[in-house]
Amino acid sequence: MISQIGSIAISLAGGLIFSSFLFLGLFNFLGKKNYLLVAERAILATCYSIFLAFFCLLNELLVSNFNLQYVAQYTSYETPMFFKVTALWAGQAGSLLFWSFITSIFTVVYIYTTLKRMNSLKFHSYLILAFIFSFFILLSNFIANPFDPVSADIVVQNGNGLNPLLQNFFMAIHPPILYVGFTGSAIVFVMALAASISKDITFDWVQSIRRWSLFVWTFLSAGIILGGYWAYNELGWGGYWAWDPVENSSLMPWLTLTAFIHSSMIQEKRGMLKKWNFLLATSTYLLVILGTFITRSGVISSVHSFTAENLGPMFFSFLSLLILYTVFWFFKRKSYLDTDDRIDSFTSREGGFLYNNLILILMCFTIMWGTLFPILSEAWDGNKIYVGASYFNQLNIPIGLVLLFLMGIGPLLSWNYTSKDILLRRFKTPSTISFISGFSYFLFSASFQLYVLVAIMGITFTLTSILGEFYKSYKKQKKSSSNVFVSFASMLLSNRHKNGGYIVHIGIVLIFVGFIGRAFEVEKEFSLAPGQQIYFANYTFKLNSIESEARDNHYAFLSNIDVIDKENQFLTNLKPEKRIYFYWNSDPEKRQPHSELDIHSTIQKDIYSIFSAYDAQKNLGYFKIMINPLVNWVWIGGIMMVIGSLFAFWPSRRKM
Amino acid sequence: MNKVNISISIIFVIVISWIFYLTNFKQDSSLTVRYYSVAELSDISNQIDKVKVGGYIKPNSIVISEEDQLEASFFVYQNDDSVKVYYYGIRPDLFKDDAEVVVSGSFDNSQISATELQTKCASRYEGDLKNTEKI
Repeated sequence: MISQIGSIAISLAGGLIFSSFLFLGLFNFLGKKNYLLVAERAILATCYSIFLAFFCLLNELLVSNFNLQYVAQYTSYETPMFFKVTALWAGQAGSLLFWSFITSIFTVVYIYTTLKRMNSLKFHSYLILAFIFSFFILLSNFIANPFDPVSADIVVQNGNGLNPLLQNFFMAIHPPILYVGFTGSAIVFVMALAASISKDITFDWVQSIRRWSLFVWTFLSAGIILGGYWAYNELGWGGYWAWDPVENSSLMPWLTLTAFIHSSMIQEKRGMLKKWNFLLATSTYLLVILGTFITRSGVISSVHSFTAENLGPMFFSFLSLLILYTVFWFFKRKSYLDTDDRIDSFTSREGGFLYNNLILILMCFTIMWGTLFPILSEAWDGNKIYVGASYFNQLNIPIGLVLLFLMGIGPLLSWNYTSKDILLRRFKTPSTISFISGFSYFLFSASFQLYVLVAIMGITFTLTSILGEFYKSYKKQKKSSSNVFVSFASMLLSNRHKNGGYIVHIGIVLIFVGFIGRAFEVEKEFSLAPGQQIYFANYTFKLNSIESEARDNHYAFLSNIDVIDKENQFLTNLKPEKRIYFYWNSDPEKRQPHSELDIHSTIQKDIYSIFSAYDAQKNLGYFKIMINPLVNWVWIGGIMMVIGSLFAFWPSRRKM
Repeated sequence: MNKVNISISIIFVIVISWIFYLTNFKQDSSLTVRYYSVAELSDISNQIDKVKVGGYIKPNSIVISEEDQLEASFFVYQNDDSVKVYYYGIRPDLFKDDAEVVVSGSFDNSQISATELQTKCASRYEGDLKNTEKI
């Protein structure tokens, strides 16, 4: 019964969104405000229908209604309640409904908050939102309906259950957080287009779209970091980023949105770069849809693509229409968006932002070119050419290092122009510390690498520059209060937006610290019998035992490895496991092996262990050990980024 | 055009030229690799330094060495064509019959010596129902 209600709710959403087009058309031709109001209510009702469908699916997952194909495919009676909820976004059909669900939440918030103040944006906002909704509702109704029943000729005794790799807290929260970022960028897209079409770009609008962007950016950042954290801790290949097309698809909109957040500051302060900002704000959502097309079409061979490939033409058509619509209005409103964008000085804050934008867009372009190269090369001469991680590293490492220095240079520049004297005075301390740190690395490093030297210099330069800015603000606050903590707190709260931005930048600097560690990673694959040991990377790994154990939902082979350091001191005990899920199934093909890692993690390095195979006849375990320096700094930096962004986004008491 | 815009244009042109050089002209197998269909490889007899192939693991074709469990060979198929793959190293957990895989490596003697073996990411795996009964 509930599944039928869910199915009806999706169909109803389709009807309602169609009616909104009808009333928007009537408003456009007849000019009666009532029609616009009815269209608004139709869109709101669409959102509520999607809410209903979403909760119906949630209910069916929780009660294990295996009459639904989706429920049977992603849950089982044994699946814990928490993961039954997360199964909502585990598969194609559920994730598309989930996408519509979050878009609906944003739409309701957008209508009741932003559009309440900006009446002139209503018509075009509704039109674009209705178009976006109609596409996703169409998919949920006709292509990937989560309420589709199982084939009539079978009875499902128990569902498949969620893949063991997905039964991880971070994997459970990574997709919804990323989806919030993806779908939220639709509102930025709608706002940019609606304001330009309506010729109503006001100061209030700039502030509002910046707040939306910051919110979306926070979630995109958190989603990307969590994805990396899950991959590192669960997948067992020892890395967190592989330049896979699907990973790249999430990074591209992040880069354009980062550029927009910076350049919109110039629009806010000086009314410049309207055209450029229009392009950045709209391209963010277009890149999200491009990424979705890559993920769900199968056009690029990726291990992250969904198996079903029937969504490709649909997403391609949707993307093409969005691009055409955006380009059309960009040229139609070109003269309205024209501003005097002359930035004459290299040594101005706005000049710094412009270079920052250039770097971010170049990174985005290199990634897009590399990701789409298989399609482009095939279209060119019929040969499908993939680019490897080496391409992305060769381009993005130097570009990223320039960005690292720019983050430190920006705060040292004044708006309009910075005189030579001021520049020399402000650069003195960061440059000196940067050179000292670089020179120290050059003198004391066992294996010199140029990129590492530049990265160390960039990190110290930027950290000194930002901390110097904090200290200057702190000194100002100190004059009004003698208490250190009060002064520090008032310094932070005095300009949340700016200080939040600085905290984000410190987070990115810390992530760069983590990236340096990649240059020193080492790994080894080997086999050991209990009692044997191996020496690798200044550690002795001694296998004490391999035991086995039948557990609730899997069978586990448990290894027990002592790690002894070069001073012959016991360091830690690692217990990586090899698990077999569905081990009771008589068909070996339906059993699911899973390597449960064990990581000895410190701030300096991780000792990463994988139990990859077990030869029962020889009582021999096969292992992979990786020594990954500085990885934890990536996660610490990621957390700081999100904290800084939330700090900048959080409304001040005065404003409330 | 002022000096800031000129400098931005120059940087832009340099980086774009570098991108084109890396992908279109520099002969480096770590940068680019050609994707072949299994059918294409079936018709090729010469040696290729680096290939990338996607497909499914042919049922009952996986052979794991008794001497060393990290050593495995299997066939990857697409429609009616298949190619033999040799791989040494840790295999992904989702590696099994009919699993979707992407392999990269060198091609010689009608077989691929893979240096990379990836299976479909768990978050994208959509398997058949496992516990069913026909009515």
